[in-house]
Amino acid sequence: MKNLRLTGTKEGSARSIVEVGGVRIGEGLVVIAGPCAVESEDQLIRTAVAVKEAGATMLRGGAFKPRTSPYAFQGLGLQGLKILDKARRETGLPIVTEVIDTRDVSWVGEYADILQIGARNMQNFSLLREAGKSGRPILLKRGMYSTLEEWLNCAEYILAEGNAQIILCERGIRSFETFTRNTLDLSIIPAARSITHLPLMVDPSHGTGVLGLIEPMSLAAVAAGADGLEIEVHIDPSSAMSDKDQQLSPEAFARLMRKITALKAALKEIDEAEDKRGVKGPAMAAALAAEGAAR
Amino acid sequence: MKLEDLRGDIDRIDARIVALLSERMEKALLTKRFKKATLDEGREQAVLAAVAARSACLAEPAFTEGLYRAIMAESRRMQERGLSLLGFQGVHGAYSDAAARAWLPGAATLPCKDFKDIFDGVQEGYLDYGIVPVENTLGGTVGQVNSILVNSELRIVGAVDLPVEHCLLALPGQDHRDIRYAYSHPQALAQCRRFLERNRLDGISYFDTAGSARMLAEERPRSTAAIAGRFAAELYGLEIIKEGIQDAATNRTRFFVLAKEGSAAAEQAIAAAEATAIAGGTGKQAEESASPAPILRKCSAVFSTDDKAGTLFTLLEVFAKAGINLTRIESAPYEPGDYAMFLDFEGAEGDEAVKKAIAQAKGLASSFRLLGAYLERKL
Repeated sequence: MKNLRLTGTKEGSARSIVEVGGVRIGEGLVVIAGPCAVESEDQLIRTAVAVKEAGATMLRGGAFKPRTSPYAFQGLGLQGLKILDKARRETGLPIVTEVIDTRDVSWVGEYADILQIGARNMQNFSLLREAGKSGRPILLKRGMYSTLEEWLNCAEYILAEGNAQIILCERGIRSFETFTRNTLDLSIIPAARSITHLPLMVDPSHGTGVLGLIEPMSLAAVAAGADGLEIEVHIDPSSAMSDKDQQLSPEAFARLMRKITALKAALKEIDEAEDKRGVKGPAMAAALAAEGAAR
Repeated sequence: MKLEDLRGDIDRIDARIVALLSERMEKALLTKRFKKATLDEGREQAVLAAVAARSACLAEPAFTEGLYRAIMAESRRMQERGLSLLGFQGVHGAYSDAAARAWLPGAATLPCKDFKDIFDGVQEGYLDYGIVPVENTLGGTVGQVNSILVNSELRIVGAVDLPVEHCLLALPGQDHRDIRYAYSHPQALAQCRRFLERNRLDGISYFDTAGSARMLAEERPRSTAAIAGRFAAELYGLEIIKEGIQDAATNRTRFFVLAKEGSAAAEQAIAAAEATAIAGGTGKQAEESASPAPILRKCSAVFSTDDKAGTLFTLLEVFAKAGINLTRIESAPYEPGDYAMFLDFEGAEGDEAVKKAIAQAKGLASSFRLLGAYLERKL
């Protein structure tokens, strides 16, 4: 991990905080919730109101969808961005939305508070450079076949353009397991935390692709020290035009929010008690540094 | 050639026909101000003959005649309706046009070439009202208007404070990613400079904001957008790519509505303002109640003082002592080398404090003229 000039932690310097519309990512717990795709104004606004009510801090929704099949719903495009803008005005929630085309970066930047670069585009270097030039906060998802080092190098591309507002997001990697859509690699959160100063989030919706696993994996992500979660919520999941099987209902999301809020508070108490005792866990950084040197 | 291309051409022609029909109606409305009876048979016969004479047209002469008879009948019907005529500078869809329609819904707004035409039209009586911009939060005072206003005998009967929200407009179906050029008035381009830079668009100067929208709708150039208001988008059937693209958060223009002193239109506007003031309540309370369109009572005056030390200060002191809030002080040349001062202040003409202050100011100034007491609507 030698070339992480800008993403790597430096002795004595603080962790990065990305501030978006009054929300500070990298401090406390940020929850981005919303549908996989913007389908209509009614669907998005009703979902936005519901997730805000449940305690979400930001709204997600795809206007440009990178679909496995070219015949699947590709998103509403510019119209979707306008609907997201309206939802922000009505709820005050900052907007996170994916950009898949270099020609769209500036336009998505006109509407969204955070530009998301999806797992499939993690190593799309022209897109990364363009995102860097936009100067807007970037949520960089981990590619489904990528190592931590490759992931951080992609963040490095954005930083090299002078844009330091980057949030990393683990969303599951491909493994031989087929029961889940992806294998959520939660160990990457404390590992990455020891070598990069960038905020780290987890997307348990894509990470598992299984409705019943989203809540337990959200709790696990919080316990692993994630700075935030990105969760798919749909006002009526059974009618969703994409990712039908991994979008939570507003009720299920509200329950999840209650549980992670309680967990976060309990963890804080536990950490404070251990700090008082003065007992520290094994040093991760040293172990990783040794491994890095051995390579 | 394809069917959809041909239909596109037909749609374009229809847009022009409707626009031309509307323009013809506007001229017809104006002719009513120059004639006594609505129907002028000699003139109608002449029009029909002229149309028949240039019939290099596929349609039968009887069809063209029928069409023109219908148009002229509609013109007569419009003339009979006795619509108020409100002149503004620019082309339809301009911010002035939007302000005019907000001030008097249902009036016919008529485009004028320049500000002088509006003043002349109102003075000569073929326009009932004129609307002119006086100041903009970014661009400052509209000097040209103020220097005409200082020597005009028109009365200010209303004011509108309009938010100027520039929008990037494109033809329906235009892929936003292919837009390269944005046409608009140089001032609008300057106000959207950072937006244009961010999206790598070349700004191209055009004589008017709404004019650039109309050009886009009529000529349909490729990879091109226009910067104009939302109202222009509606009027010319354009799609809004992005609203509120100006760099500064606050961009507002204040307009004066003018009428001829003592005319029926002026009396009507003053009576309507009075009725609104009584029904709605004005002033600070209206502003604080967060109503969608706060209304303020205001007065405007123009005065000059002797060329001596302290004369301006003494005059303004009258208003300070009376606790009257001055909202605008501006100087404008009324003849080469001589300046007059514009003064806008809050209050009604009937207020005791205002009456006293005006009387005192008249005593101190070498000339003092009240331009109007009116309601200002903040949109």
